[in-house]
Amino acid sequence: MGKAKIKKKSTFIDMTAMSDVTVLLLTFFMLTSTFLQKEPTIVYTPSSVSEEKVPVNNLVTILVSSADKSGKLEDPAAVEGKIFISFTGDVDSTFSSGTIRGLMLDKAVGIYNEQHKTAPIEMTAARRKAFMETNMIGAPFAALPALLDMSISERDKVQGDLTRADVGIPINGNKDKEGRLNDFQVWLKAIYLVSKDIHDQKADGLTADEAKALEDLYNAVTKDGRGIAIKADKDTPFTTVEMIFDNLQTMSLNKFSLMTALTSEEEVSSTAK
Amino acid sequence: MAEVAQNDGGEKKKGAQKKMTIRVDFTPMVDMNMLLITFFMLCTTMIKSQTLQIVLPSNEKVNKEQQNQAKESEAITLILDTEYNDNNKPKVDGETGKTIHNIYWYQGIADTTFTKPDFIQKEQFVGDARENGVKVQQGIRKILRKQNEAVMANYEEYKTKWKNREITKEQFDSLAKKNAADSTLSRPVVIIKPGPNTTYEGLINALDEMNINQISRYSIQLPTHTDTLLIQALEKKSGETIIRPTIRKSSNPS
Repeated sequence: MGKAKIKKKSTFIDMTAMSDVTVLLLTFFMLTSTFLQKEPTIVYTPSSVSEEKVPVNNLVTILVSSADKSGKLEDPAAVEGKIFISFTGDVDSTFSSGTIRGLMLDKAVGIYNEQHKTAPIEMTAARRKAFMETNMIGAPFAALPALLDMSISERDKVQGDLTRADVGIPINGNKDKEGRLNDFQVWLKAIYLVSKDIHDQKADGLTADEAKALEDLYNAVTKDGRGIAIKADKDTPFTTVEMIFDNLQTMSLNKFSLMTALTSEEEVSSTAK
Repeated sequence: MAEVAQNDGGEKKKGAQKKMTIRVDFTPMVDMNMLLITFFMLCTTMIKSQTLQIVLPSNEKVNKEQQNQAKESEAITLILDTEYNDNNKPKVDGETGKTIHNIYWYQGIADTTFTKPDFIQKEQFVGDARENGVKVQQGIRKILRKQNEAVMANYEEYKTKWKNREITKEQFDSLAKKNAADSTLSRPVVIIKPGPNTTYEGLINALDEMNINQISRYSIQLPTHTDTLLIQALEKKSGETIIRPTIRKSSNPS
């Protein structure tokens, strides 16, 4: 009897099934994903039991920056309460976020220049285009042209540096709707007027889809308050939030929503004794 | 699966011809797919934020007569405060890692004689506990719930019905809404007064309690001078500083 022959086994593993599964997973993630939008600063929203979801479409988000938590700054509160604003259109139709931003910008700049006749700002086509492509922006109107002239990476860098004076939308002063508005109020007025114009069929050059998206925005802004969401950090002082509330009230936008994370009734974001 | 058997025409004249198999190596394909999946997984937001709807009164001046005056017996005032540590950051509880919020509350009209003991009391936001499988309210929730007992009794009844599938979610929602606004029941009016050091989280917690306790009438106001004096009286009694003076500069962006 000779030696038992060891059969040579092939180590080839059939990867077909594996490949099938990964492709399926990939398809799933591609279809369900909504991409994270770039925001100049990270905020951690407080939690609440409210189960209402943030609408995906037609939303104006007001982001309030929080105090510096990295411990790098001497006065962490110095970067607190900077206001950024973002407009989201209908995600299903690719162009409407840009369209909405463009319309908002035109209106807001119009209002601003009307009120600041001595120092109007100029909005060129290139700047307008840059604005349409930016998700979230926070700058005084006076600094807006310079900001929009920058390249994307430069702009992100400037916007991310909250210690700068030209970052964040000015919000102080003025409690009179008819008086000289502050920059934040100019934006709010623009939001209201743009959605109202669409509602009254005044804007032209829009496709039916875009017009419908803006009609939805009008309802969201003026009727049920879903269209305006405040996203503030849990450690943002109430004084800052109060100021935003006050500005919204001044502009007669009394209904709005606050962004929160979900929690249960057992848990509460505070401590038991 | 990954092999394709080649049949050479089916004719087997010249003896058994070798069967050729073509194997395709899928490993690089899988590698690439995995990379793509990782990319998409990292870029997506699965959890969507929740929202809390809020309606504020308009800023226009309202005459005293036009204002809705709350009945004294129904009014509850909550003065909110957040504790801060020496670095001017919200104080965090060592065990739970959560910020410490205090509530100073009183019922009815503020006691301007500042002499009544225990007129103003301290509470905290505490989650529900479970005792023998039954939910037990604690902290400020217990107090608010007691004030809104009539509404809560109905609410619990609807909830049980909904859980037993006697009514649908929509029916439950509309019933609960109607119930919370039912003027025939005795309902409290809650006045939320966030103090100078309150964080946004404190306010959200307070609004949350309104939701949980089905309180439909509440308003957010700034603390008055009387409130400050009340707190000071409490401080004098307990001998410790309760609400620190505003430590933050009035935060004016830019």
